[in-house]
Amino acid sequence: MTEAPDPERDLTLSRIIRAPRSLVWSAWADPDSFAQWWIPAPTLCKVVAMDLRPGGAFVTEMSDPGGPFVPHLSACFLDVAQGERIVFTNMLVGDFRPAERGFMTAAITFKDHAEGTEYAAHVMHRNRADREKHEEMGFLDGWGTVIAQLAALVEPRVLTNP
Amino acid sequence: MEQYQDPLSGVFQALADPTRRAVLGRLSTGPASVSDLAEPFAMALPSFLKHIRLLEESGLIRTRKEGRVRRCEIDRRQFAAVEGWLSEQRALWEDRADRLERFVAKVQEKGEPT
Repeated sequence: MTEAPDPERDLTLSRIIRAPRSLVWSAWADPDSFAQWWIPAPTLCKVVAMDLRPGGAFVTEMSDPGGPFVPHLSACFLDVAQGERIVFTNMLVGDFRPAERGFMTAAITFKDHAEGTEYAAHVMHRNRADREKHEEMGFLDGWGTVIAQLAALVEPRVLTNP
Repeated sequence: MEQYQDPLSGVFQALADPTRRAVLGRLSTGPASVSDLAEPFAMALPSFLKHIRLLEESGLIRTRKEGRVRRCEIDRRQFAAVEGWLSEQRALWEDRADRLERFVAKVQEKGEPT
């Protein structure tokens, strides 16, 4: 993205993944691969739509162990450059139709690097009011993070005390 | 305090209810008394207290008595790096990148064609 990140409401992350760019790209762009890492285990992820073109729908569902699949992400791709860039927003659904609610646009970039691939995400959020609204709505995506952290915390104990 | 067989199931149970998620959402902005937390909900205090107790047993929050008031706060040990909304989002994206990295490494080990 050309716009500089706003530290108040954007986040950026970048890391070097020791694998060829084509492999990192396919982990993202192949729905079966994507479903295996997008949501932390043991929650299951189902890719309902991943139409990689501007205006294409991007829909995922999740299921806690034994539970039904419920909506997770509903978004629209804005820009897709094969092997290089994926931009999507949850403020729109497929075919650019405005979403009921949404709060972010994410730009994912893949670049060749001497040690593999430079993988970067620039996630832009609308404003503070939306952040607070998101908090009221419950943790939503944050759940996944919390569960992952808790899993990391408790797994060693579960293993030693079955 | 009740101990769950599987610590995660307690957390899932704690998160699987809109009232408890709303309480966590409120507490993510800072500690609050039980009565302040109960105010937005049209429910009897004993019912609300059951939600608080379940959250406490899951380890997601802790409570302490200050005179006649019971104060609740997020237990940072469970929430680890989750401090406020943006850092929560950051942790979410960092974790996704971690999982992507592990997934790619696994595929590479297997020597599957790209």
